[in-house]
Amino acid sequence: MKLRNIFNISLIYSTFHIATPIIYAALCAAITQQANILNVGTEGIMLMGCFVAVAVSYFTGSWILGTLAAMIGGMLIALIMAVGIIRYNADNCAIGMGVNLLATALTKYLLETIFGVSGNFTDPKIISIPKVNIPFIENIPIINDIFNNWYVTEWLVLVLIAVVWFMFYKTVWGLRLRAVGQFEQAAQTAGINVSSMKYQALLIGGLLGGLAGAHLALGYTTLFREGMTSNRGFMGVAAMYFGNANPIFSSIGCLVFGLASAIGNRVQAYGVPSQIVLLIPYVITIVVLVVSLVSKQAAERKKKSSLTNVN
Amino acid sequence: MKDRKVYVVKWVLTVLFALVIGAVLILMIHENPIDAYVALVRGAFGGNLKLGTTLSNFTPLLLTSAAFAIAAKGGAFNVGVEGEVFLGGLAAAYVGIYWTWCPKPLLIVLCFAAAILVSAAWAFIAAFLKVKWGVNEVCVTILMNSVAQYIASYCVSGPMSAGKANSQSPDTLVTLPKIMKPSTLNTGIFIAIVVFILVWFMLQKTTLGYKIRSTGTNPAHAEYAGMKPGRITIIAMMISGALGGIAGCIQVLGAYGYYLDNFATGLGSNGMLIALIARSNFAALPFVSFFVAVLKSGAMGMQQSTGVPKSIVDTLTAVFICVACMEMLFIFKKKKKSGKSEVKQGGES
Amino acid sequence: MNEYCVEMTNIVKSFGEVQAVKNGHFNLKKGEIHSLIGENGAGKSTMMKMLYGMYDFDDGTVKVNGEQLTKIVPKIAIEKGIGMVHQEFMLVNELTVLENIILGFEPRKGMRIDFEKARADIQEYIDEYNMDIQMNKKINQISVGEAQRVEIIKILCRGAEIIILDEPTAVLTPQEAQQLFRILDKLRENGKSIVFISHKLDEVMQISDRISVMRQGNYIGTVNKSETSEAELAKMMIGREVFLNIERKAATPGEVVLRVENLWTSGEKENSKIRGINLEVRAGEIVGVAGIDGNGQSELIEAITGLRKVEKGKVYLDGQDITNFQPKKVREAGLTHIPEDRNTRGLNRALSLKENIVAVQVDDKPFAKGMLVNNKEITDYTTKLAEKFDIRPRDPEMITQSLSGGNAQKIVVAREVSIGGKLLIASQPTRGVDIGAIESIRTILQEVKEEGRGVLLVSAELEELLSLSDRIVVMYEGKISGRMDASEANEENLGLLMMGGADTAKGGAA
Repeated sequence: MKLRNIFNISLIYSTFHIATPIIYAALCAAITQQANILNVGTEGIMLMGCFVAVAVSYFTGSWILGTLAAMIGGMLIALIMAVGIIRYNADNCAIGMGVNLLATALTKYLLETIFGVSGNFTDPKIISIPKVNIPFIENIPIINDIFNNWYVTEWLVLVLIAVVWFMFYKTVWGLRLRAVGQFEQAAQTAGINVSSMKYQALLIGGLLGGLAGAHLALGYTTLFREGMTSNRGFMGVAAMYFGNANPIFSSIGCLVFGLASAIGNRVQAYGVPSQIVLLIPYVITIVVLVVSLVSKQAAERKKKSSLTNVN
Repeated sequence: MKDRKVYVVKWVLTVLFALVIGAVLILMIHENPIDAYVALVRGAFGGNLKLGTTLSNFTPLLLTSAAFAIAAKGGAFNVGVEGEVFLGGLAAAYVGIYWTWCPKPLLIVLCFAAAILVSAAWAFIAAFLKVKWGVNEVCVTILMNSVAQYIASYCVSGPMSAGKANSQSPDTLVTLPKIMKPSTLNTGIFIAIVVFILVWFMLQKTTLGYKIRSTGTNPAHAEYAGMKPGRITIIAMMISGALGGIAGCIQVLGAYGYYLDNFATGLGSNGMLIALIARSNFAALPFVSFFVAVLKSGAMGMQQSTGVPKSIVDTLTAVFICVACMEMLFIFKKKKKSGKSEVKQGGES
Repeated sequence: MNEYCVEMTNIVKSFGEVQAVKNGHFNLKKGEIHSLIGENGAGKSTMMKMLYGMYDFDDGTVKVNGEQLTKIVPKIAIEKGIGMVHQEFMLVNELTVLENIILGFEPRKGMRIDFEKARADIQEYIDEYNMDIQMNKKINQISVGEAQRVEIIKILCRGAEIIILDEPTAVLTPQEAQQLFRILDKLRENGKSIVFISHKLDEVMQISDRISVMRQGNYIGTVNKSETSEAELAKMMIGREVFLNIERKAATPGEVVLRVENLWTSGEKENSKIRGINLEVRAGEIVGVAGIDGNGQSELIEAITGLRKVEKGKVYLDGQDITNFQPKKVREAGLTHIPEDRNTRGLNRALSLKENIVAVQVDDKPFAKGMLVNNKEITDYTTKLAEKFDIRPRDPEMITQSLSGGNAQKIVVAREVSIGGKLLIASQPTRGVDIGAIESIRTILQEVKEEGRGVLLVSAELEELLSLSDRIVVMYEGKISGRMDASEANEENLGLLMMGGADTAKGGAA
C-alpha cells in the first residue's frame, strides 16, 4: 500500500465532494438549532428531497425543477415537524424519528406505485445536476485538479455557508432567531412572535435539507435508492454539534468526515473489507462528536472555575 | 380513571386518523381501501401459518419496545436498540456455533448470556458518553446502529460465513423449539413474555425501578436525593441493551437457527415506534406491539391478495407515530396561546 | 379626556384547575405611581402579565387610554405604550446589552442592523436618567442592578408611557432600591405612569401615590397613600392581623457541627464563584446567610452538600471530613437539606406524594426490603408525616404536580426535618409560599434549633433572617463581606454589607 496513492492532490476534491451532502444537512440542522430545536428529522427531510428530485427530474427533464421541487418536498416534511413541535407540543426526538420513518416508508411506497420498482431506481431520463467546467484553468495542473468540474450545487454550498453565516450574525432576523433560541420569553416580551420564528427556522431548514437531498440524488449520484441518505442527516447533526450551530465551523466538521471517507475508499483498493471501510465515517463522526463535547465541557468548566481568572 | 378514558379515546382517534390517511393513499392508486383493510386482517389471522407469523413478529417487538421504553424511563432516547439486536444475535450465533464442547442445555443459557453481555456493553458506550460529556445519545446510537450492522455483516460474509449465496452463518448447534409450524413461531415467545414481566416488575416494585423513574423524570432531584442519576441512566441503558440482545438471541436461535445478515432491520425502529405510541407505558406496550405485529404480517397478505403494496403499512405506522406524539392534538378543551409560559409559571406568583 | 390610562375590570384568569385571578380590578391614572400589593399568589403579577399580553384573560375588560382591547399580545402592548420589567429579567445572556435593548425594534440598514444609530438613541436615554450602563458587555458579565437598569432603558427605548415593575426591589439591596426610586420619581416627573408590584409595605408607603390590594385572586380595594398606614395595608393584604415575627428563642450553642475552611468552588457567574470562605455552625443555633441572589449562596450550599465540586478547601461535618463526598454520603454523615428550588431539586413533580416523602431514604430500612420497595411502610410513614405537617391533600398516591407552592414546600420540609441528623441546611425555605405556610415553616426551623441541631439558613428576606438567626454572615461576590450577632444586625448595616460596603459591624472570626 503506497501512501502516495492515498494522499495525493485528488484527495482534496474527494474530501469536499463526499462532505458536500453532509454540509447541506449540517446547515439544515444549524438553522433550527439556532431556534433551539434539535433537528432529528434532518435525515427524513433529506430522503424526501432525494426522491422528489429524482421523480421531478425524470418527468420534467429539468434538474432545476427537480431541485426546486426537492426543496419544497423537504419543506413539507419539516412542516410536519414544525406543526408537531410548535403547535401540538410534540417531543422533537419523537416527532423527528417519526418523520424519518415516514420519509423512509413514503418514498418506498411512492417508488413502488409511481415507478413500479423497489430498491433502486435509475433511468437515463433522470437529468443530473451539471458540472461547471472552467476552461481557462484547465491547463493549470493543481488548480485544475482541485477546482474544475465541480457540480453546480458544490459551488452553491460555499455560497450558502456564507449566506447562512451572514443571516445568523449580521441581520435583524438572525438576532431575533438567536434570541428565540436562547431565551424564548425574552424574545416574546420584546414583541417577537416566537412561534413564527420557529416555523421560519424549521421551514428554511426544510428547504436546505431538501436541497441536500437533491444534491445527493442528482449530483453526487444520479439515482434513487431506498434509504440512500444512509445516516448522512445524522452526520450533519453531529457536525452541527461540533460547530456549535455556526455554519462555518459545522462545515469544517463535515470536511473531517469527508476526509475519513475519502481515505477509506482508497484503502479499500488494498483489500480492506468493504464493511470496515463503510463503518469508518460513522466511527469518525462519533469520535468527532465526543471530542467536540469534551472540549466544550472543559472550556465551560474552566470558565466556571474559581481558581482561574483570579484578579 | 378519567385519565385512562382520555388515553383510550386519544388512541382510537389516532388509529382512525391514520386509517383515513391510509385510505386516501390507497384510493390514489385506484384500489378499494375497505378491501385492502379486510385483506390485511385476513393476512394476520387467517390460519395457523398467518397467526403464527403474527405472533412470531410480536416476540421481538415486545422486547425491543420494552428496551426503548426502559431507557426512556431512565432519561435516555435509545435509538440504538437495532444495533443491540444485531450484535446480540451475532454473539448468540458465535457461541451457538463454535462452543461445541458445551452440553446443549447449558449452551442455550450461554447463548443468551453472551447476547446480553455484548448488547449491554454496546449500549453502555452511548450511555457513558451521554452521562460523562453530554453527547446526544440519539446521534450516537443511530450512528452506532450502522457500525453494528457493518460489523455483523462483515462477520457473516467473512470469518463466520456459511459459504452460501446469502450472507449467513452456519447453523447453530442448539435451537428453540418451533410451535405452530410451518410459521417461525417458537418458544422464544414465552421467554420474551417472562422477561417483559420481570422488567415491568423491576420498574414498579424495586428500589432500582423507583430510581430509574425518578432519574428519568427529574435528574436534578435524583442527584440531590443521592441517587447518582448518571449511574442510573447507564444502568437503564444497559438493561435496554440487554433486552435488545435477548431479542436478537431469540431470533437467531428460534426464528432462523442461524445468523442471517440484516435480520434485525426494522426491529429496533419498530420497537421505538411502539414505545413512542404507548408513551413508554408498560401496560400498553404488549397491546401496541401486537397491533404493529398484526400490521406487519397482515401487510404481506394485503399485498398478495390486492394491488396495494405493503410499504403503505409502514407509511401508515409512521403517520400514526407522528400523530401519536402530538400531545395536544386531541385535547379539545378551550385552549389559548399554546406553548406559552403557563406550564412553567402556572398558579404561583 | 379620560383621566385613566389603564382600566381593568372584572378580570378572570385560570391556569388549568387553579383560578389565579377571580375578580381583578385595576386602574392607573396618568402620571402616578400606583402600587399593586398582595401576598405571593394573590394574582398581582398575573394581572399585569395579562395587561402586557403574556397571558390571555378569560373574562373581563381591559381599556388602555380609553380604547378597549380584546386580544393583547406583547407586540400590541408595546405599541400601546406599555412596558414591563419582569421579576425574572427578560434579557438574553449570550447577547450584548446593546443587542438586548434593540431586540424586536432594531434600526435597520437594508437587511443589516444599524448599530451606530441604535447606540446614539440609547445614549440619549442613559444621559437623561443618569444611569450607568455599559452597552458592549454581555448580560452575563453585568450586575443585577445594572441588568435592571438595562430593562428600564429597554422599555423606554420602545416608547413606553406606562411602565410596570414586577417586584423590582426583590433583587436589590436597600441602597440600590433607593437609587431605583430616584429613577422612578424622575420618570413620574416626565409624565410616565408607573405600576409598582411589591409586598414590601415600607417601600410602597415611600414611593406610591395610590395603592391597590389583592388577596387570593380578588381585588380588595384601592387607597390613597396619604390616607392609609402600613398596618391598614397589612390587614387588607392578609385579611387578619398576623405577626410573622416569631420570638427568637435564645440559643445555647454546643459543639461545632459544620466547619467550612477556605472553601473555593466554581460558579455559574463570575460573581457567584466561591473564593475562600470560612464558616462555622454550632449545634443548637441558626446561622443566617444574607446576600443578594447570585452572590454565591447557591454555590456555597451545593459545595457543602456534595452537589458541586470543591476546588480547594475543606468541609467538616461533626468533625468528619466530608469534602467532595457524594450527596448520599453527605446525607449519611448527618446532613439534611431543604434546597432553594423545590421544583427542580426538592421534589419530583412527576411522582406521587409518598414517593417524594421517601426520596432520600428509598434504600434504607424499613422502606426497602432487600431490592424491593416496601409500599406498606412507605404509605404509613407518608400518612403520618402528612398529618403532622398538615400537607393537603393527604392522599399518599397523589401525583405532586398540582400541589400549591406551600403544600409542595411542606413535603420537602417534612421529609428533611423528620430524618433528624446533625445539621439542617434551609435554602430560601419560604420563597413563594403562602403566609400560613411561612408561619409554620419558620416555627419548625425554631424547633429544629431547640432540639439541638445546627441550622444554616440562606434567605433573601432580611426580615426572615433577622427574626430567626442567632448569627448572620453576609455574602458578596463569593466572599463573606461581614459577620455579626443577630442582636447587632439591622436592615441598614446588612444592606451595606450586601453591596460589599465596608464592614461597619464587628468583623473577624465567627
